[in-house]
Amino acid sequence: MSAAQWARDLGMGLRFAFAGGREGWTRALLTAVGVGLGVALLLLTTALPGALAERDRRGEARLNFTYGEQIERAGDTLVTADTDTEFGGRDIRGRLLEPEGDKAPVPPGLREFPARGDMVVSPALKELLGSGDGALLRERLPYDIVGTIGEQGLIGSQELAYYAGAEGLADRVGDGMVGRIDSFGDPNPTEEEMDPVLMLLILVVFVVLLMPVAVFIAAAVRFGGERRDRRLAALRLVGSDGGMTRRIAAGEALGGALLGLVFGTGFFLAGREFAASVEVFRISVFPSYLNPSPLLALLVAVAVPGAAVLVTLLTLRGVVIEPLGVVRTARPARRRLWWRLLFPLAGVIMLVPMLGQGRENGEFNGYLVTGGVICLLVGVTALLPWFVETVVARLGTGSVSWQLAVRRLQLSSGTAARMVNGIAVAVAGAIALQMLFAGVEDDYTKETGFDVTLAQMQVRVPDGTEIAAATTRLEKTEGVRKVYPLSEGYFADRPYTEEPQRNAQLTVGDCATLREVAKLPSCADGDVFAVRGGEYDTDTPSLSRPGQKLYAEVSSSGEELTEVAWTVPEALKEADSVEDPTGTKRGGFLLTPGAMPDDLAGAVSGQLYLAIDDSVPHAREHVRNTAAAIDPLSSPMTWSATERTERFDSIRTGLFVGAAAVLALIGASLLVSQLEQLRERRKLLSALVAFGTRRRTLSLSVLWQTAVPIGLGLLLASVVGITLGAVLLRMTSTPVGVDWASVLQMTGIGAGVVLVVTLLSMPPLLRMMRPDGLRTE
Amino acid sequence: MTTTPPPGSLLVARDLRKVYGPTTALDGAGFSIHPGEVVAVMGPSGSGKSTLLHCLAGIVTPDSGSIMYDGRELTEMSDGERSALRRSEFGFVFQFGQLVPELTCVENVALPMRLNGTPRKEAERAALTWMERLEVDDVRGKRPGEVSGGQGQRVAVARALVTGPRLLFADEPTGALDSLNGERVMELLTDAARSSNAAVVLVTHEARVAAYSDREIVVRDGRSRDMERVV
Repeated sequence: MSAAQWARDLGMGLRFAFAGGREGWTRALLTAVGVGLGVALLLLTTALPGALAERDRRGEARLNFTYGEQIERAGDTLVTADTDTEFGGRDIRGRLLEPEGDKAPVPPGLREFPARGDMVVSPALKELLGSGDGALLRERLPYDIVGTIGEQGLIGSQELAYYAGAEGLADRVGDGMVGRIDSFGDPNPTEEEMDPVLMLLILVVFVVLLMPVAVFIAAAVRFGGERRDRRLAALRLVGSDGGMTRRIAAGEALGGALLGLVFGTGFFLAGREFAASVEVFRISVFPSYLNPSPLLALLVAVAVPGAAVLVTLLTLRGVVIEPLGVVRTARPARRRLWWRLLFPLAGVIMLVPMLGQGRENGEFNGYLVTGGVICLLVGVTALLPWFVETVVARLGTGSVSWQLAVRRLQLSSGTAARMVNGIAVAVAGAIALQMLFAGVEDDYTKETGFDVTLAQMQVRVPDGTEIAAATTRLEKTEGVRKVYPLSEGYFADRPYTEEPQRNAQLTVGDCATLREVAKLPSCADGDVFAVRGGEYDTDTPSLSRPGQKLYAEVSSSGEELTEVAWTVPEALKEADSVEDPTGTKRGGFLLTPGAMPDDLAGAVSGQLYLAIDDSVPHAREHVRNTAAAIDPLSSPMTWSATERTERFDSIRTGLFVGAAAVLALIGASLLVSQLEQLRERRKLLSALVAFGTRRRTLSLSVLWQTAVPIGLGLLLASVVGITLGAVLLRMTSTPVGVDWASVLQMTGIGAGVVLVVTLLSMPPLLRMMRPDGLRTE
Repeated sequence: MTTTPPPGSLLVARDLRKVYGPTTALDGAGFSIHPGEVVAVMGPSGSGKSTLLHCLAGIVTPDSGSIMYDGRELTEMSDGERSALRRSEFGFVFQFGQLVPELTCVENVALPMRLNGTPRKEAERAALTWMERLEVDDVRGKRPGEVSGGQGQRVAVARALVTGPRLLFADEPTGALDSLNGERVMELLTDAARSSNAAVVLVTHEARVAAYSDREIVVRDGRSRDMERVV
């Protein structure tokens, strides 16, 4: 067989693809849309690792790394303060900058330093601050906007970030938030690998998304199959041999696939621009770095049309094209189970070695993960035809509509199974992902452990802040019910210069507040308590002897540290620790304000625990605004677990929407196939109507014909999805739990698809049941 | 045919008109048939004979004219009533059998009875009796795709007769068969119909097939007329 012959046959098929009348064009367009979606998804897949790597690179390049050895003030140093905040559930990256010389490093994305009182903002933050929604935030960031941060200084298009000019920061270097740097970026960059769990999620998402697209392509290439069959038979009649005919058919599919490549590139480019305006799970990207790897893009360009041709050849496998017509092989050989089990088995074998590795144990082997997940999902597609055939063969006869449907399925269960394979894969994948997300999210939520019944926010104010004044301001803030002010520090058994061996926590607060952290026998201002039963506290008993001298470290100005001595008083009382608002049992010493010497003020930092009235709109935003007004370096924290729940909800919603979209795609495939089947049976339907068959009977038979395989598909998908979900959860060392809500949700969508496909099949079915179909007799 | 129909007719049609777009399929056609009578409707392709059969069977409603079946006016019946009539009192045989490919032959024959609500076993028992009479009981468990054209057509005849119809409509029943098989099907069809006193409307363009009828009418340009039988 010469290459010229191949080219000639494929070329003839290509011409047929676009010259086959309305049906031909429809088929070519449907194939192109399916292939286009696949190509766009594949291009996105190939672009994603590069995009995430670029985000990491940019994130690292703008890092103001202040740990390690302290840098002395010089002409090339810059003092930075982290003033990250959040607004409406979105994180805002904030930095205060104070250059100490002309050569101070300018952050990426900035041309010059903003002056004191000015700020340079990201485009998204500028938009937010300019909108009505951002009015509250404007209060918190009372700086003049003098410019926007360039793309190089941002990791995503929707990132909220600002750099504000400041003065007097140098005096506060050493406070956790403030540091001196002479360059941006991590001085000791580590080869940062992508979070293995995130990588796992991405891999699964794309496998799940691509499989239904493949099913859609397989359905699309069958559209208008009857006319194509007649054309192919005519070709056989004029002397085309079997091989030639198949190549011509493949050429027809190639036409749609090539058009699909163009569509796919268009979809991708349009999606790439659109990507700049959206944020998914708090991640946004810039189109500039959403570039597919050229080699992988080339591979996609070759593999996708190749796959479309392969699918066509596979669908023609059970078809004998004869000169007088097309004969579909009557009864396929009985399906065997053993080799179908190999796929899920291989998947489990690939994934099992990674069980229990968790996030800490580093990478998952990408190839094994992808291979394992694909094998499990392909396992669904391999098992489904056998499963449908086996179950359908055992279904008894019932009403006429049931009998018609069941017999049809028994005769060609493979077609039905292929059609629902997409749904099964999508549902199995979605259930697995929901379980994984739910499990991982639970994992994070459990870590907090805050007692949110007492306080729902915490504000840490920088050292030296007047706690009483800060308390008053916060008490007056809209939405704050109560403030529990505590100052915290540490005592040691000897001066810090002499390397202390034992230490104990120091907590200062009024009696009412101290009662939230310990069970006090009695309390009056001036009392001091030694706390028993604190977590991780072994030294307090030995340090609480009256008369004993203890030392506290006080930061006065800049980096200078001094020691202050304190003597354990004679009137020391004892108290039992109780779970404090942070959910921990603290030990050490409790001091009422009257027992606190003035020179110890610098040894403690203020923590204010706030009870919030959530019925007040934007209560938390008001607190953040007050905290920023007290000191821009104060850091408010929200304890409420609701944020986690909200985030989880958004993931669920995202998955729900994604799965629904995939199922809609599969629904469209089912509809195309159903209509094609009805068209092929037009005469038969008319004949059935002629001898009095009720429309209801035939409509119900269409419903059963869709519902039975989908029902079986959903059952199998639930089993595989739960298995895959359990394996993935074990891989991330997360307790396995079935998210039944998602299982029900997914099966519900599947049932919805059955109904919609049946309903949409009704008008053409009723039209084809008209007696007109008999006119050709 | 505008002459007065003979008394005791089972079905009488008068002045039927039917137009499909620019094409006039029937233009004042008439027809009558007695119980147990076999009437052949003949005519060239496109003359309107199939449309006449579809109108007579209540599959298609004529634009004008009257069709009386056993004292009831077919053109005034609802679609549901006509469907019920076709299920219970009419039988049909088409050129290509039009058997449901996924059902076995016995299930195909039993189908009209099942549509009438007869339990499956009882329907299949009756179906088998008819299959024996039409000499196709040996293919009862096979699907239509697995039997020959002649066998398939005989299964279709059995299906048409299984409900004990009073009127059988056969549209080119041997059109897809060779002469030997065609003759055998016609013999069995007319014998079975006569033995159960069913009238047969037989649409054909073959004189050889029409020879099995008691009477012939010819349709040309949408009009019908009785033909003298030349013996």
